[in-house]
Amino acid sequence: MDDYKFLFKVVLVGNAGVGKTCLVRRFTQGLFPPGQGATIGVDFMIKTVEVGNEKVKLQIWDTAGQERFRSITQSYYRSAHALILVYDISCQPTFDCLTDWLREIEEYASCKVLRVLVGNKIDREDREIPTHVGEEFAERHNMYYLETSAKQSDNVERLFMQIAEDLMKQARSRDLPRYNSNHQNINGTTTPISDSSCCSGKFINAIVIFGKPTACIHCS
Amino acid sequence: MDSNISKYADMQKAIQMELEKLETEEATLIEGLNNMLNQKVFLEDKVKGLSKLIPSLKVIKNEAQDLVNTVNDISDSSEKISSKIRSLDKARSRVDECQLRVSDLIDLEICSQGVQAAILDSDYEKGAAHVHRFLSMDQSLLKRTANDMDNVSNMLKSVRTLQDAASQLRAIVEHKFNEAVTTEDLLSIERFFKIFPLLGMHEEGIKEFCTYLRSKVCLVADKNLKSAINTPVSDKRYSVIYADTLTLLFEGLARVLDKHQPLIETYYGPGRLLSAISILQKECDVQTKRVLLEWARSRQIHKKVQQINELSRMSSSSSFSKMEKIDPKDLDILIGEITLMHYRTELYIKFIQRKVTSDADVGIPNQDERTKVVQSLEKLIKNSELSQCKHELLSHYLRLEQYYMEESVAKAVAMDTLEPGQQTSSMVDDTFFIIRKCIRRSISTGSLDGICVIINNACRVLESDFGEILRQRLRQGYPSGYLDLTQAYNVLHTSIQQGRLQSGDTEQSRTAFVVALNNADSSTDYIDALCEYVMKEIGQSVPNLNANEKGKLESCLSGLSSVTTNLKDLIEYGTQQLRSTAIKPRINPWVDAFLNANHHLTEDELSAYEAGESFVQTLIMNLETLLSSFKDILSSSNYDLFTQVLTAEVTNRFEKVIKKCTFNRLGGLVLDKEVRSLAGYMTANTSWSVRDKFARLTQMATVLNLEQVAEIHDYWGSHDGALTWRLTPSELRSVLSLRTDFKVEDIRRLKL
Ligand SMILES: Nc1nc2c(ncn2[C@@H]2O[C@H](COP(=O)(O)OP(=O)(O)OP(=O)(O)O)[C@@H](O)[C@H]2O)c(=O)[nH]1
Ligand SMILES: [Mg+2]
Repeated sequence: MDDYKFLFKVVLVGNAGVGKTCLVRRFTQGLFPPGQGATIGVDFMIKTVEVGNEKVKLQIWDTAGQERFRSITQSYYRSAHALILVYDISCQPTFDCLTDWLREIEEYASCKVLRVLVGNKIDREDREIPTHVGEEFAERHNMYYLETSAKQSDNVERLFMQIAEDLMKQARSRDLPRYNSNHQNINGTTTPISDSSCCSGKFINAIVIFGKPTACIHCS
Repeated sequence: MDSNISKYADMQKAIQMELEKLETEEATLIEGLNNMLNQKVFLEDKVKGLSKLIPSLKVIKNEAQDLVNTVNDISDSSEKISSKIRSLDKARSRVDECQLRVSDLIDLEICSQGVQAAILDSDYEKGAAHVHRFLSMDQSLLKRTANDMDNVSNMLKSVRTLQDAASQLRAIVEHKFNEAVTTEDLLSIERFFKIFPLLGMHEEGIKEFCTYLRSKVCLVADKNLKSAINTPVSDKRYSVIYADTLTLLFEGLARVLDKHQPLIETYYGPGRLLSAISILQKECDVQTKRVLLEWARSRQIHKKVQQINELSRMSSSSSFSKMEKIDPKDLDILIGEITLMHYRTELYIKFIQRKVTSDADVGIPNQDERTKVVQSLEKLIKNSELSQCKHELLSHYLRLEQYYMEESVAKAVAMDTLEPGQQTSSMVDDTFFIIRKCIRRSISTGSLDGICVIINNACRVLESDFGEILRQRLRQGYPSGYLDLTQAYNVLHTSIQQGRLQSGDTEQSRTAFVVALNNADSSTDYIDALCEYVMKEIGQSVPNLNANEKGKLESCLSGLSSVTTNLKDLIEYGTQQLRSTAIKPRINPWVDAFLNANHHLTEDELSAYEAGESFVQTLIMNLETLLSSFKDILSSSNYDLFTQVLTAEVTNRFEKVIKKCTFNRLGGLVLDKEVRSLAGYMTANTSWSVRDKFARLTQMATVLNLEQVAEIHDYWGSHDGALTWRLTPSELRSVLSLRTDFKVEDIRRLKL
């Protein structure tokens, strides 16, 4: 079972009740859970998918949207490979909070993280945020955009598969030695030694475009 | 004409085709007929055999008919019997019912007569027993009895009497119970509590009783909280007084439950604990909230958390911080108190979960209903104020603990010192002491989520605040500095040993570099130990993790492993720095001295050479100095890495230098000896095997030490004495050609 080639951490964030848990359950278990309560702290789920004959293990962290769990959920941003930011297309306040979430992501997450904006619950009749508004927001913040319905299983599989594919591409292109031993710095100039040194601190202004991380100001 | 001809031709063709078809058909028919004819004999045989069977078949058929008749007879008679049994059953159940009705009727009479008297006598137990008997009668059966009876009015009167009595008793018991509660008459409270279920008032009874218990809990909690508030700062328990208060509350509640559960179970039956607990939980919620409010006020928790939040925002946005920092040490006690409060809360929740579940297991046989009870318990807990308080506590804890860890590690890094004679500096011990302490504290909260967050935080701190310092120091590089290197190393060596690091930037940077390298190495050991420790501790403090929770924990712990990976990369990077600045520039001239030595020796020169100080002796002496200057200052595994790199450099350089020289027979002999003693020295002075690294060099020396070209066949080939060659055939040829006494055509003629 454990013969995967890649392991990626995917973290879902967004206001309480936007359907994060439902999206994860739909993807991992193929069901729409009836009347399950709000998430406490953070839930953890695993699904192994195949991308081009390669086994990819997705470790999915479903965080609680409620404010009082923030100190728990924030600690998972740093090691995330992908962040899914979810809002509810039938609930304006969940969309209005996106900027707050982005601030949080920029404070805690790595600058290389893949960021995806998801408008959930498109099965609902009472849409409040038109597709193009979500799309524009995502574009403005260099995020990939997708609308889903956990209830009717629209785009859920696609969302996670797309993430798996993109992360794999990223990982492959970064699969280089961490430093080049021919380029040693005898005179003490700084060269990045390892990836992890990049932006583990806070306040990162660099932006990642889906599938193509631009260089981070901290490590370039 | 033409068209006619072609028409005929067509027709002819068609006829021809038809004919052919008929012919093939004929052929198949004939073949079929032949087949049938062939089978005729066989079939006739079969028919003969079958016709012989006919008489016995007739017999069988008759016998079967007989059997059918018999079976039919049996079934008829059994049908008759079973219908008799059925009517018998019916009759018996009627008798049963009749008996029941009669006994009900009799009891009805007795109860209705007795109940009023009992009420008048204030014998509520007896009255309630009558009502209980009445309530236990099948009411629909009673109605049917009434319909079947001549003297209906009597019975109806009894029923009415009992119904009246029941409601009368209910009112009385409720009233008396409340009266007893007001007067604190414990005996009466218990007395009436027992009567409720007889009157079919289970829920009411539990509600009244538990409301009473609530009020008792409330009184005690009030008193405890007051005394907590009034505890003087000088009191020994002052720093954990609110944790104590909370503990008292939970212990009190647990005692109440433990004490009254048997009572409830005996008189109300098992499976009713959830109702009791949900009432008591309300008091628990109220009181917990009050304690926490007082606690927050007294410890100024919100102010502290807010201050910490602002501090972390400021420190990252600007280098100068206007705000006064909170000393992490000042948070120690507070954090301790929070973990204690959180742990107690967790314990109490586990306690009621255990209680209700085992009560349901005993009292509710139906699986679905049992699941329902467990679910409503989970919902009760999830929606309780107690859980909210618990989450709030955890949130406070995490904020404070993260700050504590960050600040303390930052301090440890800032106050980093190198004790004389130490390979690592204080920041490593201090940092891991802090991290271990924080993780231990997180484990003592009893919350897996809390533990995971602190582990995540430890990874972040180790990689950024702590690891960044090591990274920076190694990036500075290891300065080569002095021209007289031996002297430089000696200075470095002694100054580190004596803890005097004042003389000059170079030594300081060198020490800083070496210590950073050792720190990184030591940190990987610390991390391994830390992971082991966490697994062990959690196994004891938070047992029974399910597979999912284990996965969660393991995933967070894997964050620590990736810190190790990064540290190992860092060490590798540092070692490469040493290679380029400490090893290469020194080794090269030493080895290059070989170029100046005479490799075309006569016998006399050979003895003279061997009597004097040979090339390899000087080299080994120099290496000895270099190695010993690093042996004590590098950690043992770093020293291993160092010697590996050193060996690789020496052998590489030596190979290159050899290729630039030419040898006669004795020159080759000397070289072979020298390579052997060098390899011997390196093997003796390092803890790992260098044989492999010397393989190429040794083989070159072997080649150059041959008597004649053809001797190579003793070593080359697939026979027993052959070597596993590290030199390619063309390399081997070029090495052979370094011997000036070997003929070029001999070498060329070799079959390799
Ligand atoms: N119509 C519709 N309802 C949905 C969909 N996804 C989720 N919901 C409903 O939205 C509510 C909240 O869903 P959750 O998945 O629990 O929300 P969450 O984001 O995990 O909430 P927190 O755990 O509190 O952060 C539930 O009642 C779901 O039934 C969807 O695609 N369509
Ligand atoms: Mg959820």
